[in-house]
Amino acid sequence: MNRTRWIFVGIVVVALIIVGVSLAVQGLRPDDGGQGPSQTEGGAITVDRPDDITVRVITALPVEAWVTNAAAAYNATSPTIEGVPVSVEIVAMDGLTALGRFDRNTFGALEVGITPEDLDAAGRAALAEFPTAWIPESRYLVELANASYKERLGRDVFLTDGEYRARPIATSLLTWGLYESRARVLQTEFGQISWNTIHDAAIARGGWPELGGEAGWGYFKLVVPNPNKNVAGLHAMIAAAGEYYERPDISTADVTNLEFQAWLEELMGAVTDFSSASAYTAEDFALFGYSVGDGGQLLEADLLLNMEGILTRWEDPINLYYPRYVTWFDFPFSVWVGPETTALEKNAALDFQRYLLSDEQQQAGLAYGLRPANPRVPLDAIGDSLFVKWQNRGVEAVIPRADAMRNPDREVLLALLRWFELNVAE
Amino acid sequence: MSNTTQSPLNLPPDPRQQRRQRSLAMMLVGLGLACLLLGALIYGGRAALRWLDQRVPDRPLDGGTISDAQELVIAVSPAMKPTFDQLVQQFNDRARTEGPEAPEERPLSVRTIELSPDKMVEQSLDADPAFQALAPDSSLWFHQLEQRWQATLEADESSVIPIAHRRTSDPVRYAVSPIVVVAWESVARELGWPFEPLGWQQIQQKATRDPAFKWNHPSTINASGMLATLAEFYAGAGITRGLTEATATAPETLEYVRAVESTVRFYGEGEAVILERLRAEGRDFLDAFVAQEQVVIAWNQAQSGDRLVAIYPAEGTLWADHPLALLELPTLNEAQQRTYRAFVSYITGDDAQRLLLAQGYRPADLSLALDSPGSPFAETDAVDWRQPQTTLQMPSQQVIEVVQNVWWYTKRPTNVILVVDTSGSMQDGDKMVRTKEALLAFLDNIRGDRDQVGLIEFGTGVKRVEPLRPVTDEGRSHLENVIRALSPSGNTALLDAVWEAHRQITETGDPEAINAIVVMTDGLENASNRTRFDLQRAFDDSVERRIVVFTIGFGRDADRRLLQEIAETGGGQFRLADETDIEELYRTISTYF
Repeated sequence: MNRTRWIFVGIVVVALIIVGVSLAVQGLRPDDGGQGPSQTEGGAITVDRPDDITVRVITALPVEAWVTNAAAAYNATSPTIEGVPVSVEIVAMDGLTALGRFDRNTFGALEVGITPEDLDAAGRAALAEFPTAWIPESRYLVELANASYKERLGRDVFLTDGEYRARPIATSLLTWGLYESRARVLQTEFGQISWNTIHDAAIARGGWPELGGEAGWGYFKLVVPNPNKNVAGLHAMIAAAGEYYERPDISTADVTNLEFQAWLEELMGAVTDFSSASAYTAEDFALFGYSVGDGGQLLEADLLLNMEGILTRWEDPINLYYPRYVTWFDFPFSVWVGPETTALEKNAALDFQRYLLSDEQQQAGLAYGLRPANPRVPLDAIGDSLFVKWQNRGVEAVIPRADAMRNPDREVLLALLRWFELNVAE
Repeated sequence: MSNTTQSPLNLPPDPRQQRRQRSLAMMLVGLGLACLLLGALIYGGRAALRWLDQRVPDRPLDGGTISDAQELVIAVSPAMKPTFDQLVQQFNDRARTEGPEAPEERPLSVRTIELSPDKMVEQSLDADPAFQALAPDSSLWFHQLEQRWQATLEADESSVIPIAHRRTSDPVRYAVSPIVVVAWESVARELGWPFEPLGWQQIQQKATRDPAFKWNHPSTINASGMLATLAEFYAGAGITRGLTEATATAPETLEYVRAVESTVRFYGEGEAVILERLRAEGRDFLDAFVAQEQVVIAWNQAQSGDRLVAIYPAEGTLWADHPLALLELPTLNEAQQRTYRAFVSYITGDDAQRLLLAQGYRPADLSLALDSPGSPFAETDAVDWRQPQTTLQMPSQQVIEVVQNVWWYTKRPTNVILVVDTSGSMQDGDKMVRTKEALLAFLDNIRGDRDQVGLIEFGTGVKRVEPLRPVTDEGRSHLENVIRALSPSGNTALLDAVWEAHRQITETGDPEAINAIVVMTDGLENASNRTRFDLQRAFDDSVERRIVVFTIGFGRDADRRLLQEIAETGGGQFRLADETDIEELYRTISTYF
């Protein structure tokens, strides 16, 4: 073989060695999970398929029971995405807690320009637990999470339009739940059940006897979830502000108004115990009954779901009364769009979202006191619908004479939380 | 037929060309083999790494052993410990029987440790506590824990919304029980039960007006003690809500609380020990005490004769709501989280909930009706599932801390003499070191401004007498130096030492205070001049001072019989300890004062 041919063969051999070594380096990455060089930003490219996919959905507490059962039913159908088996895992978490974790980046979202391939073994292992989707109580929590990541990454992490946009999967609203015996006394004394009525009951120095109730009832006790643990607590205060100002949009100036703050403080003075109030406030209502609270503005779904327990444990039933200014929760199913999850995982999450919106699952939600997001499903679609079962307790299909409260902006929330910390929690 | 094309000249093949073709073919074969080898290396390596990865189970991040990491340790409050242990036993048995979900996993396993709620809070703030989950008697401890945890964190100004970074997961409740005044039926009827509404004020009035009325509430380290104390502050301030720092510390409030506290027979660990002593001493031990409603059911189920009944205070009460939560620890591994989830599912499940109901708790499962046939709440008037009608308002954490701190200044004063064996046998192992640590821990827990502590050291005879002195900074420092200087030698003159302690208290102690002697020995009495009958006579002569004796047998060689007899003479308790738990025992005894 002449010299030219030796050189040619040498070049071919060197090229092959380079290619081989490159492949070896990539192939030997231990935490690849067999997916090889699969992910670019957005997770669009995959070379190797994973053996299976787990979709982790952080789920707000009021819909958790329904979504968990739906996930079990979905998993039982042996779903696949592009031939890859999918399973859905539900992580129950209050929306505020989840927002706090997104904000502190506890879940471990990657910094700008970093991809999963850049991580070491421990980093990749941690990313395996990253949530694929989030169902908070309300859309504004998604907006706050986006605001946090916009500062950090310069982009939204939950999309508000397009294929991956957040879609409501059910709705519910804050409504008054009061023990019937107490509600009757308040209606006799003040007329309708409203924040102003509750305020007047709260400041009665002589307690229930002064209002016309029994001495054994003590003073009027209001139930408001702890705003640090439960989104509904924060919204109850915003709803109170709405009624105080008689309008659905509340500004920071409204919250910092001294007269309003004095009124709110008197109202909150009727709460028996913020320290032990759990995130499951309506369940507390059932467990502790009228001993801890005569009534409060709570999520309709929670009240309906715990109505049976309340009737089982306490002699007095609870009735529902709809407020003038209504706070809606829309439980948006929001898919994370960063590189932390693959395209297959995102698509699997969307598949589960579609499953939740199916007629069958929307009907199942009625048994949990949730109003369907799917307009084809009426409130009396199934016999187990809590809207049918508890009609005699005041639940109504059409909300009467109500204005919807607008979602508060960040500054209003901060001002209310700060006020709560300084004047109530401390 | 051949399809080979031949040269028209039919020349023989060129040997050089044949060689070149052979070398080219060999080269290609070599390259092919190299590629195959490389490919085999890549995929072989990947397969080996995957296999290794599967072989290694969840590793603890803290470098602990694998078996440690599989186990979930839960701190449980003393009152719930016996029931909780039953539930844990059932859970572990079931987990062992059913086996893990995947073959490479180990069975789930839970272990409990007993801790008073205040200690749970304190230890939960450590970087690496001895437990991963906690089950105190009330959520108020979680609130205290979170407040103290927040104080350790720096504010993050960049936060979009400052939602607190919590130390625990969302707690789960598995059972609840209201806190009530438990009284013998005859005592309750005398007070007006079941026809008159009874409250904290009636109990407190009875206690202050009738010197023969014996009642007790635990110290503020558990929920029932905290509630009883809060109720006194509310009653003293003349309100049932809106207790502030100013109203809690107003002179008339403090005077009222001090008067009521002076009627408390003793404080102590809580309901489990009270039930034990009721069983041992019967009806005369106490007339009434503050405890969970469950105690009434448990007692009436197990005992015949006099019944206990629950008085639901008319002004309001609190609930022992038995929460369970996981600590948010960075060292927590996947196996422990899985075990926690499984245990929560078990303890809120049907079997566990029915067991809790059978034991007198109100189960968290709301589908279990309290008045259904077979329920311990049905067909009895000793407890009433429709009660309580109202609760006292839980003040803010700041006010609770004020109440806890002020309580030390209003509680019944204590005179306690520590009688410590420093005979030669105390040189064995770590006995002396542990004893000193335990005595220092005891001293640390005595914080009342009117409390006095003394110390008697004995060996062949009484070696040293430190008379009762107030536990001021100076007094505390002096006693700490005395404890540190204890040195073992000689025989065991136990009875002489107890007799001397009794003489000290009789001569200098305040009859209105809780007067007590805490005796510890590791050996047999072999050097005293006094006899047990001398001691008995001395106690009989000073019955109006009610001097209580707690005795501790340290190690296997202690004279248990004699210690038991001395405790009975002094109307107290005998306990056993070793190097591992003597400190905790001294801490526990300190809660009685």
